[in-house]
Amino acid sequence: MPLRLFSIDPALAWLMAAGVLAANAAQAWTLTIDRAGPRVFLHVGNGTADADNSTINRVEVSLTGAQLLSGVPQAMTTDSTQSQSLQRNGFTTCPNPASQILVGTSYRHNNINHERGSTVLSVTSPPSLTSASGDTIPFSEISWSVSAPGSPTPNVIPSGSFTGAQQTLATVAVNTYIENCHSFSYANSALQAAGTYNGRVTYTITIP
Amino acid sequence: MKTDLLGRTARIGGWLGLCMLLAGQAWANPHRLDDSQSQVVPPHVKMQWRSIAPGQGDTGMEAWVRVNLRIATGAWLGRSGRIYMVLPRDQSATLEAQWTTQGRLLAGRLITGERTLVWAGVIASDTLEDQLLVRLRAPSDWGDSSRRLNFYFELHTN
Repeated sequence: MPLRLFSIDPALAWLMAAGVLAANAAQAWTLTIDRAGPRVFLHVGNGTADADNSTINRVEVSLTGAQLLSGVPQAMTTDSTQSQSLQRNGFTTCPNPASQILVGTSYRHNNINHERGSTVLSVTSPPSLTSASGDTIPFSEISWSVSAPGSPTPNVIPSGSFTGAQQTLATVAVNTYIENCHSFSYANSALQAAGTYNGRVTYTITIP
Repeated sequence: MKTDLLGRTARIGGWLGLCMLLAGQAWANPHRLDDSQSQVVPPHVKMQWRSIAPGQGDTGMEAWVRVNLRIATGAWLGRSGRIYMVLPRDQSATLEAQWTTQGRLLAGRLITGERTLVWAGVIASDTLEDQLLVRLRAPSDWGDSSRRLNFYFELHTN
């Protein structure tokens, strides 16, 4: 009679084998990631990368009597201190913020199951700048030129002049970004009554 | 007698099966390694939009996690081989993982559906430990609101 130290039933042997295989199906390191949510970004003048910034920058020019009589267009200055892009890893888009307003915008979205379309950047101006005594200057007297040193698309938001109404500045494809610097000029095309004239323009981004 | 013969045949068959499986376990490459003691910090993360420049195409999203790795290698003590990190493909957009380490494993990069070498040599301890700082990047055309990533390690013995 053969010596048997122990015996294992065939079914048990298969179970043991299966157990070995189960142990072989080891764990993995896992994590769950959520996609980024939609993000609308609009930057005009002084801004903050990831928060609202309530600053309203002022663009102005003071004319002497001689300048007023000359009829020569006059460059305007700004109180902006924003020279660096907020989207472009701190790139200096506007090297002279004292005479430039940085304008940038984007709309980030996960495209699938979302209507594709373009965002529209527009600006709205009132018909006139007004003084305390009620005198007016047409807003169309103010124009802007654009620049963006080092950018492949420095004119992506084109030059123009205010129309005294809402006007489209540019369309922006989803998940792209546009920005450049706006330098403003007063046309000085007519004599105006002495005084301080004020008006406010508002930049808007409309998403699809 | 006939029943006894059948029983003996079945026993022999069972042992043969067990031996074949054990032999396969011992020699077949690759061996999936157990890293269930690893920790991911945070285990649930939200992607953030990457910065974007004018004229640049879609830059997509990214997130960062730290992984405290603890891979069980005790079953292969004294054996030489290579360990690969694997990121299985899923149904969503391609995702890229790039990481640095504290030096025990190799830094590297892989995308979903690929594997990459993270260690090679003679296994000399019961565990292989390191800390990975992992950057995850994905394009924006990612349909699901969330996805689960299951990284794992496999050993190829020499």
